[in-house]
Amino acid sequence: MEEQLSFHTELIERIDWLLRLRWLAVAGTLAAILAAYVLFPGVLPIGPMVAIVAAIAFYNLLFLLYARVLHEARVDRWQRTLSFASVQIVLDLLALAALLHFSGGVENPCAMFFVLHVIIASILLPRGMSFAVAGFASSLFAALALLEYSGLIPHYPLPGLTGLGLQQQLPYLLVNILAVVVALFAAVYMASSISGQLRARESEVVKSSKAAAARSRELEAVTSRLRRIDEERTRFMMLVSHEQRAPLNTIYSVLDLATGGYAPPEKSQEMLLRAKQRVTEMLNLINELLMLAKAREEEFKEEETELTQLADILQDVVRLMRVEAESKDLFLGVDIAPDVPPVWVNPDRIKLVWTNLLSNAIKYTEPGGIIVASLSANEGFVRGSVRDTGIGIAPEDQPNIFSDFFRARNARQMSAIGTGIGLSLVKRIIENAGGRIWLRSELGKGSEFVFELPRGA
Amino acid sequence: MTTKGTVLVIDDDPDFSEVVRIALQSDGFRVLTAADGEQGLALMREQKPDLVFLDIIMVVPTEGVYVSEVMAADPELRDVPLVIVSSIIDSPYAAQFPQDRYLHTKMFLNKPVSIPKLLEIANKYAVAC
Repeated sequence: MEEQLSFHTELIERIDWLLRLRWLAVAGTLAAILAAYVLFPGVLPIGPMVAIVAAIAFYNLLFLLYARVLHEARVDRWQRTLSFASVQIVLDLLALAALLHFSGGVENPCAMFFVLHVIIASILLPRGMSFAVAGFASSLFAALALLEYSGLIPHYPLPGLTGLGLQQQLPYLLVNILAVVVALFAAVYMASSISGQLRARESEVVKSSKAAAARSRELEAVTSRLRRIDEERTRFMMLVSHEQRAPLNTIYSVLDLATGGYAPPEKSQEMLLRAKQRVTEMLNLINELLMLAKAREEEFKEEETELTQLADILQDVVRLMRVEAESKDLFLGVDIAPDVPPVWVNPDRIKLVWTNLLSNAIKYTEPGGIIVASLSANEGFVRGSVRDTGIGIAPEDQPNIFSDFFRARNARQMSAIGTGIGLSLVKRIIENAGGRIWLRSELGKGSEFVFELPRGA
Repeated sequence: MTTKGTVLVIDDDPDFSEVVRIALQSDGFRVLTAADGEQGLALMREQKPDLVFLDIIMVVPTEGVYVSEVMAADPELRDVPLVIVSSIIDSPYAAQFPQDRYLHTKMFLNKPVSIPKLLEIANKYAVAC
């Protein structure tokens, strides 16, 4: 289809070329007739010959108008254009045969102009049609020769030019016809091979330039995606720097207070302890950032996973956190269903998930509250959850709760210290492992974070 | 004889507020602290401080801008000296900080601020003769 389209455009261009060329032929023929009239007066039947040239000029004018209509139609009517070209070639051949007939027939050396016409046909038309044109031209020439020989049509001799009566010599006629036929078919063979190669090359060029355009579009898309990633990274770096500057500003002020002697020693001591706590928080932030960076990196490669029992990790984490929970007068319960299958995960990462979810629950639940970590399984998934009776998350904060550095308003009010990275990290870990995480929460009542990981066995 | 007045510190970082409280109290000022804009405005109306130190980036990144505009629009609060203490310049929220209008503030201090600087400002604005 594409090739036909490019062939079609090419054909339209070449028809224009043929129309221009025909004006040249009209002028040339008229000049030749005029020269013959001056040099050999009374030899040629001027009237019919000029009439033929006028007919050529007339149909060329009509074709010119028709070509314009075809152009403006802007419809790819390939068959119609092809017929248009064929009609012109056939008419040209008939006109040439007529001109030859009135100017000595086979005696006129201008018979070789048939070759020019089949070359034009080879340039314009598909190969098969070009051979058909060669056949038609051959028949015309042979018919002209044989009809004049047989006397069915008159012969217009060229006295003074040849006068040999070649039209009456059958062996000469047959050899002449054979030579013309061979020349015509050979010309079509050569010209159409060359134009076929040119067409193939052209369609290759079209194809490769299309491929190049597609590649450049692809590159553009990749570039803009990289630009977006880069912008996001810059934004993230600014956020990280800002989140680290806040505690540093406070630590600076504390050190200023203590070293400058602006406070009584016991107050300075108290603030220095708070500053130390902030430094610890900052170190935690940096550790979490490093893990986040690692988690991001691992999104692009296979993580080192092993078949892991989530229950074992949960029990380890609960053992570690129980002291903290009890010091805050919280009940920390564990509910592990029997026969929970193992999952393919990185155990260190899953430990981080349990630790983050449980420490959030402990942090944001008022004394006397209850926290329950549970583990169960269904057909496809292993499901873990941490439920608390804490402060809850407002509906408007829930969509952002897994975003980097996001902290809910009530969480900030309850505890000024926190990075807003923990849950973002948890989400990445769960999703890297092929799972998903979500929450149910009601402000003032409590929260439940639930995650599912695909069963390993 | 000069009397040291009341200073209100509005900042969502309790440790920073505490440092300022200790430093100013040690110098004889009465200090109030608020953790967000609404709480700060309520304290202002109730306690009539002589000076306000205001942070900009709190839960909402431009919460302080809102507080300063409420103060400017309120005849009771308009004349309370306001000093902005913030790190919003060069922060990811810098673009949200208004560049096109005058902010109702005596001074803009970039964090971290040195304690002597805060004492100097307090002694300038929060002292009743």
